[in-house]
Amino acid sequence: MEWFNNWINKLHETFIVGDRYMTLIEGFEKTLIITFGALIIGVIIGTIVAMIKVFAHNSPKSRILKVLDVIMNIYLTVIRGTPVVVQLLISFFIIFISAKDGTWVAMLTFGINSGAYVAETIRSGIMAIDPGQMEAGRSLGFSNIQTMWLIILPQAFKNILPAIGNEMIALLKETSVAGYVAVVDLTKAGNQIKNTTYDQINPILLVALVYLVMVMLFTWLIGLLERRLRKSER
Amino acid sequence: MNADCIIKTNDLCKFYKGGAIKALNGVSAEINKGEVVVVIGPSGSGKSTFLRSLNLLELPTSGSIMFDGNEITDPKVNINIHRQKMGMVFQHFNLFPHMTILKNMTVAPMKLLKMSKEDAEAKAMQLLERVGLADRANTYPSQLSGGQKQRVAIVRALCMNPEVMLFDEPTSALDPEMVGEVLAVMKQLAEEGMTMVVVTHEMGFAKEVADRVIFMDEGVIVESGTPEQIFDNPQNDRTKLFLSKVL
Repeated sequence: MEWFNNWINKLHETFIVGDRYMTLIEGFEKTLIITFGALIIGVIIGTIVAMIKVFAHNSPKSRILKVLDVIMNIYLTVIRGTPVVVQLLISFFIIFISAKDGTWVAMLTFGINSGAYVAETIRSGIMAIDPGQMEAGRSLGFSNIQTMWLIILPQAFKNILPAIGNEMIALLKETSVAGYVAVVDLTKAGNQIKNTTYDQINPILLVALVYLVMVMLFTWLIGLLERRLRKSER
Repeated sequence: MNADCIIKTNDLCKFYKGGAIKALNGVSAEINKGEVVVVIGPSGSGKSTFLRSLNLLELPTSGSIMFDGNEITDPKVNINIHRQKMGMVFQHFNLFPHMTILKNMTVAPMKLLKMSKEDAEAKAMQLLERVGLADRANTYPSQLSGGQKQRVAIVRALCMNPEVMLFDEPTSALDPEMVGEVLAVMKQLAEEGMTMVVVTHEMGFAKEVADRVIFMDEGVIVESGTPEQIFDNPQNDRTKLFLSKVL
């Protein structure tokens, strides 16, 4: 068991000495903040984009909607056509050049990026709702937007909640590139410890393990949610 | 336009595919207050399109619709205001599955008529009582049978105090044993003096309840008159042919 004792000593040296594990915990917090912040921003943007696209599809005569639809298409094309790391670099070094804390820039960038992918999910969720629901809402006197908000979106969200959960998992892993813009997230924290301790193995493996456990936890929660939704009224 | 007239359509046309399909080809009709008008005709005759254009769920290609003294086909008109006064019942009920029966009925009066929650719920319960579904107020639509869903759909529309009720084949999606309970509610409504426009295949209902029957075919009104005139003494060959098939 000598190798085991050696390994424990090594772990102690790497993580405990100099309270280096605190760097990891802070990095972990940053990763969570960026992920959840980005998810919320992404869902808000995605909902707005999806609604504009659906309205534009339903009333092809409206000029304003047509212009907005074109703008949304440009947004989707640009965001989906460039790597998120490059978007992050553009945000930090070109747009928000005066930002001192990269965390907010990263959150916003990942949110804008995620919005482009969430938009398609939400749009398909809206399209899957029986058109009779919109007609019933309109026939009672609700406007297009009121019907969307009160009747269509609640049903659509219920259907796409699992997909949003998967987006969260994707985001969690994607944020590992936040270190590019001086954000000490989980990955960057592990990397820093590696550099100071010359321990090439353990910090990286631990970081991987933390991501893995998080993803497994989220996956389990989504599964729970899905079963719950299947059982309810519908 | 006479004083009793609540809906008047003038030369209503609805074309699809640039005129290749003429769902409505010049329909002029008047609906009077308190009148029960039943629209019959073969499938594809335009009767549903006609009904759905009355509250602009279908936007007519040309022609005009006057409702309560307003030309609602004018693009400047806020149609949402006028739709509040036109209740509509659909073939497939279109209840909101994520809301309880009570919420289905109170959401529009509360948001649109600014009714208080108490008032809206009291009114909803009173209407549910009338159709014998008060005990279902807190269940979800999926827990109801088709006939119950349609009765809820009718009272949901009534919660807005409409001046006209539009029925788009309200019994066509129902199992035969449930048709009667829905027709009974509609009949009761007619007896109370509600103005109703009903598209249906229920000839018995048309005979018994209608003040006037309109027969449509190929996007036009072929014949219109009292149930006796249409069913017992049809004048047009197309009417005769249709009735010979359905009666």
